Amino acid sequence: MHMADALVTPAVAATMGILSTTAAGWSIHRVRLENDEKKIPLMGVMGAFVFAAQMINFTIPGTGSSGHLCGGMMLSALLGPYAGFLTMIGVLLIQCLFFADGGLLAFGCNVWNMAFYGCFIGALLIWKPMMAGGATKKKITLASILGCVLTLQLGALSVTLETLASGITELPFGVFLGTMLPIHLAIGLVEGLITAAVLCFVHEARPELLWGVGAAPAAEGRFSYKKTIGILAAAAAVIGGVLSLFASAFPDGLEWSMEKVAGTTELEAAGGIYDTASGIQEATSFLPDYAFKGSESAAGTTVSGIVGALIVLVVCVGACYLFRFFRNRNRKAAA
Amino acid sequence: MSGNKIDNAIGEFRSLDTSANQDQWMNRLHPLVKLFLTILYITVTVSFSRYQLAGLLCMAIYPLAGFTIGEISFAGCLRRLRIVLPLVCMVGIFNPLFDRTVVLHIGSIAVTGGVLSMITLMIKGVFTVLASYLLIVTTSIEKICRALRMIHVPKVLVTEILLIYRYVTVLLSETGRITQAYSLRAPGQKGVAFKAWGPLLGQMLLRSMDRAEVLYESMCIRGFSGEFPGGAERTPAGSEETRRTGRSSLCWLLFWTAAFLLVRFVPLAEWLGGLFV
Amino acid sequence: MSHIHIDVENLSYAYETGIPVLQDICLHAGENESIGLIGANGAGKSTLLKLLVGLGTGFTGSIRVEEIPLEKKTLPKIREKIGYVFQDADAQLFMTTVGEDVAFAPRNYGLPEEEVEKRVQTALEQTHITHLRDKAVYKLSGGEKKLASIATILSMTPHIILLDEPSVALDPQNRRNLIRILGEFDHLKIIASHDLDFIWDTCERVILLSGGRIVRDGSAEEILRDRALLEANGLELPLSLTGR
Repeated sequence: MHMADALVTPAVAATMGILSTTAAGWSIHRVRLENDEKKIPLMGVMGAFVFAAQMINFTIPGTGSSGHLCGGMMLSALLGPYAGFLTMIGVLLIQCLFFADGGLLAFGCNVWNMAFYGCFIGALLIWKPMMAGGATKKKITLASILGCVLTLQLGALSVTLETLASGITELPFGVFLGTMLPIHLAIGLVEGLITAAVLCFVHEARPELLWGVGAAPAAEGRFSYKKTIGILAAAAAVIGGVLSLFASAFPDGLEWSMEKVAGTTELEAAGGIYDTASGIQEATSFLPDYAFKGSESAAGTTVSGIVGALIVLVVCVGACYLFRFFRNRNRKAAA
Repeated sequence: MSGNKIDNAIGEFRSLDTSANQDQWMNRLHPLVKLFLTILYITVTVSFSRYQLAGLLCMAIYPLAGFTIGEISFAGCLRRLRIVLPLVCMVGIFNPLFDRTVVLHIGSIAVTGGVLSMITLMIKGVFTVLASYLLIVTTSIEKICRALRMIHVPKVLVTEILLIYRYVTVLLSETGRITQAYSLRAPGQKGVAFKAWGPLLGQMLLRSMDRAEVLYESMCIRGFSGEFPGGAERTPAGSEETRRTGRSSLCWLLFWTAAFLLVRFVPLAEWLGGLFV
Repeated sequence: MSHIHIDVENLSYAYETGIPVLQDICLHAGENESIGLIGANGAGKSTLLKLLVGLGTGFTGSIRVEEIPLEKKTLPKIREKIGYVFQDADAQLFMTTVGEDVAFAPRNYGLPEEEVEKRVQTALEQTHITHLRDKAVYKLSGGEKKLASIATILSMTPHIILLDEPSVALDPQNRRNLIRILGEFDHLKIIASHDLDFIWDTCERVILLSGGRIVRDGSAEEILRDRALLEANGLELPLSLTGR
């Protein structure tokens, strides 16, 4: 689910960056309020733990394949959503810098898609209300699976929206979403099971380590209910915002993708689009006007442009080698 | 089982740390300059529209120059491309099928919009990865974190990133030992069996939490009271070396900022190509 | 015995579960002493050391370090005088490079940067690891990690150092090296270990703990040669004294 830089435009990256920064700022504020200095080493080590745990393959029963952990939901159930979110940011940054898992510019998107939903939606909307009356193995399992499935679905939805809003792919919205969601449903289920297994183990061995268990007496229950509504509203606003961004990137973006989807479904009835190349050819000829593409190519590429670019590159490489040559000579002279 | 993956990860950390700590010209540049240029480069690169191949190609000058001047081998970067390219391809692969308007003729070959947009997407994927590799291979995580502090990223976050980095390798080797011990007693299994999920990961988790507790004690007895002390530059401010590095950093910053903007907003390649074609 | 540095009276400690770990410990240690704290696993060695640096609350009795009673508000002052080296060097070294880690304590005590630099330099020299200063901690060998973790303590210029199982996982050469370095540190040191050969090489005085109580307190010569006493408390004669 890590998004590469190439999949976003600066506008989308900036929007998501601002959203993620806001969430991070709020989390830092809350973590400071908690004033628990023990949390700092705990966050560091748990971040490293999540990183390491992601390397383990877990065999999925009944299939030959294996899955692995993502961690947002698990961290929140142990550290609380705020510290959990900050920890996930650290994990994602190290993945991005050292392993190119997710781009630097797309970092805000990735934090949002993978950390925000897992930590805030998963922990505050699902984990906390469900654990308010105390934890049992059954409740932990249910909350973990529900939380992971939901947060991964939201994440997959966001990836789809961010990619489409960036105008990167020609894939119709419906097809894209129809691929992303089922894949991430399966991933979410596995992740949920792993999370459940770990949290149940912790519940048996050291129940005091679980966050937010039995923490809500009646009065606070109402309070968290109010908070729940607030978060839902915020989430709705954000999703709306992303959608409108997407819509504004294409003046008729939504309509356009609907049309495509409609065209596709018609063809599927006629015999399936993905079967043969000729089918696809038909499919695309079915799709209405691509006229706007022509106007864009005017500002785009011509043969002379490509030739020019190649000349620039050759000159650049030559200059660099000259630079290196002279520097090495200077170095030798100095030595 | 996953032993290989873990060894690879540890190896990657070690080799990146080694190259980032070399005493090279690129490594000495101010970390904030490198961080800023990397983000600017990526931003400018992805801001090209999907048909602007010529301009986009010109953006190769930055990674080319960086890799040549820094004497960095492209080989180390290939592993990263292996992760990014399939992802990008998956998204871009359908473009040629859906967008079949011919936008360009190279000789007798007609290039459709979809093919062009797929190519630009892949090039963007490669360039952005090269640029961030250039950053991490010449800048240690401590320096990146120092740069983050300079732009007022809160201390809690920066401290936590450094701690994660410090303990990632410790926990990775521990995970390696645990999975190895597991697979020795469970021959022929591809991963960890369902029944062992909770205990295996749970034990590891509890041990990590205990470690965090000892870590906290070890901080406490050395005067920790909720905040990490700010580090300082090793080379004293005002020394000739610092000034020289400062000047190079500034030049590097100005040169590339200008170059990026020039390539982005002036159809340089078109003019140049026009002279020959 | 010269000036008293550590003064423990009737110290008892129990875990939250109510199981007693230490009972009625009395201990007086003077300036230049080197004391070996020995005993089988679970005798309470580590717990005693941790209590001396104020890790663990709820003990009864009194602990005084250089005449200062150990309480919550005196902790920063006491921890400036007393350094504790953990058994697990990975827990002690949490910064990314050796130099940064050694500088952690002096910086926390708000020393000016030149003084920090001087302290770091001295501590690295004392442990003979100046060349490791800029090395990433995870690239160190086990022996180097141990020396580095001692350096992080020495940079506080403590009057007392406590070491928990310092010889674990050291090869013979690193072990000899460590013995030499500890010999060069001429303040009070207390070393907890069940490696009696190591204690024999580093300590003049030995305190034998068993079941949370002090069984014997005397010279190394006297206790480490007493086969019957050691074996009754789950230990064995140091190899170098068995005459083999």
